[in-house]
Amino acid sequence: MSLFSLFQISGSALTAERLRAEVATSNLANSETTRTPEGGPYRRRMVLFQSQPGARFHLLLANSLGETSATVTGGVEADQVVDDPTPPLLRYEPGHPDADPSGYVAYPAINPVQEMVDLMGAERAYELNASAVQAAKQMIQQSLQILK
Amino acid sequence: MSLLDTPLIPTLTRALDLTSQRQTLVSQNIANVDTPGYHTRDIDFRQELQRALPDDEAVAAGPFVREVPGLIERPDGNNVSIDRESLLMAQNQLQFQTEIQLLHSEFNRLQLAINGGSGQ
Repeated sequence: MSLFSLFQISGSALTAERLRAEVATSNLANSETTRTPEGGPYRRRMVLFQSQPGARFHLLLANSLGETSATVTGGVEADQVVDDPTPPLLRYEPGHPDADPSGYVAYPAINPVQEMVDLMGAERAYELNASAVQAAKQMIQQSLQILK
Repeated sequence: MSLLDTPLIPTLTRALDLTSQRQTLVSQNIANVDTPGYHTRDIDFRQELQRALPDDEAVAAGPFVREVPGLIERPDGNNVSIDRESLLMAQNQLQFQTEIQLLHSEFNRLQLAINGGSGQ
């Protein structure tokens, strides 16, 4: 356990929050997209956050017995991006090239307000974690003061 | 106890260890501010310091990490309060600085003794 593990923890959150911002931006950018490589309209994506296992008993035990030096950080990970199962919105546009036989075009069910709120949330969380990194940096620098 | 061990140095060392461990927990809480179902974790600094002072075993095992009671839980089951964590982070940082300064001045005093009081 050292002060340097703070960088891993906050770093994992910076990565996760950036992914969340990227996904929200991509949702906004594709709010009118009717064609995708998978076929059909774009589907809204969501990021799933999961906390990394923190100080678990077996890890601590192994560490204290000197068997491993596994890091026991408890950051966050966002490795899963899932599709929103909400059905697409149908708009009546018979002249549209992607209209179905009855003249309806499927548009992604994306609410810009929701995406903006998500984007702002990710931004603020990123800021907060960046200041945690700053704090860790300062503490390490302060501990070097003992040497002077 | 070696010649250079003053009573304050072990205390400050333990306090610094605990402060940095607490900072790790604060960072964890901040990192998980958007994780559904995550609960805020913390240590009781005073209690842990008292426990760690006479006992090397307790230091090796690390402090008791507990969930913080009385925080308001959001609908997704997360109860991380950004205000609490930011304030704790600032407080912890200052505490760390204080402990570093105290340790530094303790070493300065030793230096003074070594030089026979004739300055540094």
